[in-house]
Amino acid sequence: MIQLIIKRLAIAIPTLIIIIAFVFGLMRVAPGGPFTNERALPPEIEQKINEAYDLDKPLIHQFGIYLSKIAKGDLGPSYKYKDFTVNELILSGFPISLTLGVSAIIISLFLGSLLGIIAAIKRNTIFDYTVMGVSLIGICVPSFVLAPILSLFFGLYLGLLPISGWNGGNIYNLILPVVSLSLPQIAIISRMMRSSTIETLNSNFIRTARAKGMPKRRIITKHVIRSSILPIIDYLAPATAGLMTGSIIIEQIFGLPGIGRYFVVGALQRDYTLVSGVMILYASLLMLLILLSDILRGVLDPRVKIK
Amino acid sequence: METILSVNGLSVNFDTSQGLFKAVDNISFSIEKGECLGIAGESGSGKTQTFFSITGILSDNGTATGIADFNDVDLLKLTEKELSNIRGKKIGFIFQDPMTSLTPHMNIGNQLIEVSMVHEKKTKNEALKKAKEVLDIVKLPRIENLLKKYPHELSGGMRQRVMIGISLMCDPLFIIADEPTTALDVTTQKEILKIFNDLKKFKDITIALISHDIGVISEVSDTILIMNEGHIIEKGNCQEVLISPKHEYTKHLLSCVPEWMK
Repeated sequence: MIQLIIKRLAIAIPTLIIIIAFVFGLMRVAPGGPFTNERALPPEIEQKINEAYDLDKPLIHQFGIYLSKIAKGDLGPSYKYKDFTVNELILSGFPISLTLGVSAIIISLFLGSLLGIIAAIKRNTIFDYTVMGVSLIGICVPSFVLAPILSLFFGLYLGLLPISGWNGGNIYNLILPVVSLSLPQIAIISRMMRSSTIETLNSNFIRTARAKGMPKRRIITKHVIRSSILPIIDYLAPATAGLMTGSIIIEQIFGLPGIGRYFVVGALQRDYTLVSGVMILYASLLMLLILLSDILRGVLDPRVKIK
Repeated sequence: METILSVNGLSVNFDTSQGLFKAVDNISFSIEKGECLGIAGESGSGKTQTFFSITGILSDNGTATGIADFNDVDLLKLTEKELSNIRGKKIGFIFQDPMTSLTPHMNIGNQLIEVSMVHEKKTKNEALKKAKEVLDIVKLPRIENLLKKYPHELSGGMRQRVMIGISLMCDPLFIIADEPTTALDVTTQKEILKIFNDLKKFKDITIALISHDIGVISEVSDTILIMNEGHIIEKGNCQEVLISPKHEYTKHLLSCVPEWMK
């Protein structure tokens, strides 16, 4: 396992450099720059600013400076939030996005798998049809449609939950964003879990377990789940990617001061370092999750050798 | 002789998209204690479904009607829970495909001991002791080591031995072997059949051996039952039926056995 982790870390570094280069290039290709305003700055001042931020140097030189800074763990100054470095901005927003993302992923995994298993066991019953029907809606309706509807209903009409703000991480403020973020994932996961559970239930080794006279509950817990959960483990990384992109929108809708906001604002205002910093964070997280899902798969399925 | 299983007027129907399919049509037969009954017939003749139906492991779209008295209990009248108390405890199963019939993520030891732990409420250590015993009966080597292995680490023949071991965990009265040697090579086939012969001789276990291979059946069975399209075509002493078949279909079936095997 340690071998796998070392190997992945070795791959992660060049991958990150490619991602950084890509974002770096894309941001420069986009018209305008961080200091482009409606009213043009006097040339001398622009010159001074560009010098201060190394923007006057050739691109490849700028990239080199940026990379060497990152190697030291410094993501550079933000061009737009002038008194802050990117590190500070990310540190202030990340705990919020992380709380949101982790709660959403735990809830989606747990509820999605549970609903999927029950639907598979009780297939072609009312429960199955209800779960599958609702999950179809969950897949079709994007979270940016769901979120306003939820906040309108539970926030304004019923007055049960606050519709925006972080409020120091108050659990009531978290409910609506987490629910709107995880519902589409619950829908996808429950459908995946249902079909893989049905497939497992029809396999020969479940027939053996039945022939051994094992009670139903034991068959499900000991023989079925560990096999049927495997596709969900593989889906862990794509689900995280989905939650990340989802959270950018959800944070906007519910006015949460996470990093999703910096990503959008940064991209619009050509805040090169900020966008790049958030990208590095997202990419690292995603690679971490892929590693985690590979390790989990190896633990759950003895046929997979971790190398 | 004491009759262990007596089946009367058994029919099995499957509800398919093309309508009701009659897999087994009103058949009756019985098995004496200690007997080995071979059930021969081509694919789809209903030989497997006969035994799946009386033990309640038909697939969901199947229904069975009739009487199947096992030790004076009609199996077809039992609830799923009552049946699962008999399966694995009094009736052991061996399936056709050893490659897929064992749970891939559970080690051999756990797959064996759970049978005794669930049915006989044995402790883990007692069950492990029994597991080593049965693995010895099926002649598997290096048992300690084997208990910790996973199915994919074993060969087909070894897996089938484990499968037989599982069926023996609770000292069953009756074993249903559904094409137990079909997926194995000829050498392994011989060894597995030898185990069956030993079980018959030393353990006095009643065996129903389902196979399309007359050669396999003739090596172990005392009596034979020929099935075709859900009906019993012929039944009787194995040697007699094979030497002088009375029915056209049986002759036809026997003509498919290569000359040198006879």
